[in-house]
Amino acid sequence: MSSASVGELVSQPYKYGFITDIETEKIAKGLSEDVVRLISAKKEEPAFLLDFRLRAYRQWLQMEEPDWAALGYPVIDYQDIIYYAAPKQQQKKASLDEVDPKLLETFDKLGIPLSEQKRLSNVAVDAVFDSVSIATTYKEKLAEHGVIFCSISEAVKEHPELIEKYLGTVVPSNDNYFAALNSAVFSDGSFVFIPKGVECPMELSTYFRINSGDTGQFERTLIVAEEGASVSYLEGCTAPMFDTNQLHAAVVELVTLDDASIKYSTVQNWYAGDENGVGGIYNFVTKRGQCRGDRSRISWTQVETGSAITWKYPSCVLQGADSVGEFYSVALTNNRQQADTGTKMIHVGPRTRSTIVSKGISAGHSSNSYRGLVQIGPKAVGARNYSQCDSMLIGDQAAANTYPYIRSQQSEADIEHEASTCRISEDQLFYLQSRGIGFEQAVSMMVSGFCRDVFHQLPMEFAAEADKLLALKLEGSVG
Amino acid sequence: MVAAPLTTSAPVAAPVHPWVAALLGALPAPAGLRPEITLSARAALAAAGLPSRRQDDWRFTDTAPIAAVAPQLLAPEALPELPPVAEGHHRVVLDGRPETLAAIAWPAGIEVLSADETRDALGRCLDPEGKAPDWPVLLQGACDAPVLALRVRGAVSEVLELVSEAGSGPGVLPVRVLLLLEPEARLELLQVHRSSGANLTSALVEADLGAGAELRHGVVANGGSESVLLARLAIRQQPGSRFALATVSRGWGLVRLEPRVVQSEGAAETRLRALQVVDEHQIADTHSRVRFEGPEGRLEQLHKVVADGQGRSVFNGAVVVPRLAQRTDASQLSRSLLLSDRARVDTKPELEIVADDVRCAHGATVSSLQEDELFYLRSRGIGAAEAARLLLRGYCQEILGDFPAGAALWQAPSFSGGPEEIRR
Amino acid sequence: MIRPDAPVLLEIRDLHASVADQPILHGVNLTLRAGEIHAVMGRNGSGKSTLSKVLAGHPAYTVTGGSVLYKGADLLELDPEQRARIGLFLGFQYPVEIPGVSNLEFLRVSTNARRMEEGEEELDTFAFEDLVNEKLQVVQMDPAFLERSVNEGFSGGEKKRNEILQMALLEPVVAILDETDSGLDIDALRIVAGGVNHLAGPDNATLLITHYQRLLDAITPDYVHVMAHGRILRTGGKELALELEQRGYDWVDAEPAVLEAV
Repeated sequence: MSSASVGELVSQPYKYGFITDIETEKIAKGLSEDVVRLISAKKEEPAFLLDFRLRAYRQWLQMEEPDWAALGYPVIDYQDIIYYAAPKQQQKKASLDEVDPKLLETFDKLGIPLSEQKRLSNVAVDAVFDSVSIATTYKEKLAEHGVIFCSISEAVKEHPELIEKYLGTVVPSNDNYFAALNSAVFSDGSFVFIPKGVECPMELSTYFRINSGDTGQFERTLIVAEEGASVSYLEGCTAPMFDTNQLHAAVVELVTLDDASIKYSTVQNWYAGDENGVGGIYNFVTKRGQCRGDRSRISWTQVETGSAITWKYPSCVLQGADSVGEFYSVALTNNRQQADTGTKMIHVGPRTRSTIVSKGISAGHSSNSYRGLVQIGPKAVGARNYSQCDSMLIGDQAAANTYPYIRSQQSEADIEHEASTCRISEDQLFYLQSRGIGFEQAVSMMVSGFCRDVFHQLPMEFAAEADKLLALKLEGSVG
Repeated sequence: MVAAPLTTSAPVAAPVHPWVAALLGALPAPAGLRPEITLSARAALAAAGLPSRRQDDWRFTDTAPIAAVAPQLLAPEALPELPPVAEGHHRVVLDGRPETLAAIAWPAGIEVLSADETRDALGRCLDPEGKAPDWPVLLQGACDAPVLALRVRGAVSEVLELVSEAGSGPGVLPVRVLLLLEPEARLELLQVHRSSGANLTSALVEADLGAGAELRHGVVANGGSESVLLARLAIRQQPGSRFALATVSRGWGLVRLEPRVVQSEGAAETRLRALQVVDEHQIADTHSRVRFEGPEGRLEQLHKVVADGQGRSVFNGAVVVPRLAQRTDASQLSRSLLLSDRARVDTKPELEIVADDVRCAHGATVSSLQEDELFYLRSRGIGAAEAARLLLRGYCQEILGDFPAGAALWQAPSFSGGPEEIRR
Repeated sequence: MIRPDAPVLLEIRDLHASVADQPILHGVNLTLRAGEIHAVMGRNGSGKSTLSKVLAGHPAYTVTGGSVLYKGADLLELDPEQRARIGLFLGFQYPVEIPGVSNLEFLRVSTNARRMEEGEEELDTFAFEDLVNEKLQVVQMDPAFLERSVNEGFSGGEKKRNEILQMALLEPVVAILDETDSGLDIDALRIVAGGVNHLAGPDNATLLITHYQRLLDAITPDYVHVMAHGRILRTGGKELALELEQRGYDWVDAEPAVLEAV
């Protein structure tokens, strides 16, 4: 990162905070069985999906909102949320030329050009605006390889058998309160299917944008890699600045069969609220991957910098023999943000292996917790886990908590956990400064150095992006 | 990972849990120093019932062994033979009877507190964070145990040995100790809990360490397959004080040790070392919590587990470093040996840090005996069983070495022996 | 090289400084002209390391009196990074380790910060690698060290070479080398001294802070200053260092006349 770009970055406020002025079709606020039916009807869904939604809704009604994470937030009024909002553009267009130029412009401003001439080379993008997917690039090229990459609504219409086979099989609709809510009302999201033996020829990416102020975002992502298939997928998220809180309750399900691999990366930069904690997204997300096949691999990489509250534990259920789960995370909190994040590695099959690397940076008055579970079941002979959780504290008002649970029922397994807490020392800062490096840049160099092990896991262009994001987020938090 | 919030207050009309109701019915009217506390503990216990796995603090711990104990106070009975008193040790047997305490001669430097002093100091270290009392504390309070309350001045040359022997009878044996260490006082304490029957030892030790005081506290806990031990250690440390705890527990149907240390102004040293051995259907649970209320405190914690048979081991180690505790240096290491496929280990460190200039490291490992170490010994001609025995002994020795030499008399010969012997 | 008409680069006047409210410097006077090599000697606690930290602007040290002019302008009001950018360099006695921050990246950012100050062009990654490879030869350093984190896991000698490499890249006007010889074996000392000699020129000045004569066998100073009790007690030529080597530092205390004379 050049010194100029950091200087430029640290002086910027949240630059994705604009609102696109576009006519939106919204349904009335509130949640009921009728609303669930309405969403399903608007999306012209088959009966099995309506049943899935209704079952989830009834389960949700029976469940209680969890409070174990001790996250302080006011009671959410689930009747004060709009569960479906879509830009008024009835049918998804056959060609991008027909997409409302305002939408294309929005994604251009976000640095995600969708138009043919400006596209990111070798990255296919599905753009989701409020509740619906507005465009997916490179679909034809992917189709040549048998790869399906489309919005989940399209997949429901075009590949209902795949949706019925896999949806809800990794995260059951009654898994937890927010997963049940999502299962009832999910509006859109991405679907990826990589057939047997195919290595996906390009990076796949979904870009989520919340635009409406009173809309909840409930997207659902499902990625299936058949035997020997592999894919790298990245999601990015932003939202405008509102002084009210918005709920984002997504569900992501990943499935790998024998020898398949999925690499799932997230750069999360939802609006975090202002420095006094007013506004921002409540990011309550359920992400889980299931290594069903032998020797399969699921890798989660996340850079979490946004949201007022983040509550997510991308997890791996390692069923197949010799399957591998990985979790690499950077979570940065500033001002009044709260992040409670980590992973669960559930070792079921023999010789399964998992690696956890978590880097938490807490600044301002924020609170940043790592919460993880490593569970070794009785059949996981020869399983191994290595976890490393490091915290960096900036200022004496921020909290860093670490809760790494370990549960083992298998004597022939090795579990190792290490954790440390550090800060940026005055001597390190002085050393860099005495070589002509400015204060803020010195801090940002050390922070990105702290996160290096995780950034290495991101696709190249996104690693640089993540690095910039951290510098931006730390503005004014030191000194 | 979703669990119900911990509640100790039940709805008003809820029926009292039958075990609790029976115990409360069997307890005599309060006769201790603070009857109002005894009564409020009984009321709270009635409301709370038995601890449940729905409570976060008891999630991994099956409390059925508690309910299997007869809900009554343990009747004093003839003590089984105790090992000889080691040289330099001063032994006191706590059998739950006030008259036993009155008859003891104390070594130089130790004196019994007056009733007023005791009343004043009792409970001072117990509730530093102002939370509702936990279940073991409620139980202990309800039982209204006679209090052994001592003041320690200067360096006590003898090792004070406090023995609670529950024997084989049914019921609850409450043990309550209060220690006030004056500034610069030094005491070596060896506490022994023994049981061979279906009974419950409810122990509560409060220790207030003045500036520069030092308490070396060993706990040897040997129980039987139906025995229960619930032990809370509430320690408050003034600056410059040193607290070194070494515990070894084995054989209990259920043992739960709760060391809670508060460095009231930081700048003290805390060392916690523990070895818990489980086999058969035994459950051993340690919930430790160390809180730094001022700068420059130090903690060194090593928790070791040997889990065999269908044993369950739980370790929950909280370290709390608030903003005013700058330059805290804390390390926590949890090492578990899992020797059987039917045994289970749950480990949950909890680090809560709000100060930026601190060093807090923690680590955890769960594994079997190391193959390469075994191989190394075998390649030198040592048989597999012997090699395993040597390794296990070395593993345990790191903790056992922290006890006063006289403690060896209380350790069953097993600890100088091999894994088979440890199982017995 | 002493040239009475050479421009004054650094002028320290009656400098007083304290750390944690403890006064350490009690009126230091020192003038460095272009082309000169000065050595400040003294035993531990004499204030010589404090002098170097104060000149570089370490935040833990407070200047309580006096002035420091750098090319005629007030140095003390500048941030540490600004001092570095205009050409003041401190070679640390104990260079800190900065895990995760790549040495190469660090060197590039710092070199560019200095170049921009001088109105030179910023070097891109490739141009910088050429430059750094050239400078590596000055200290005979293995390029593998560029790939590692700043000073992390470096031996004492490697850290000091890394310091001299930075000096070579930043091309300072005034270089202050704080105990650069400490912890070095003979070979490393020769390489480091070679680097310093190579970089000393008619337009810059060097201030060596050292305890022992042996560094001065390899780098010949124009002036030697003896520091004690936070002041410079005596100034002489290189022969003063030899005298110290023979007589130790005790005579410094033992000669009250010297004290009076200051």
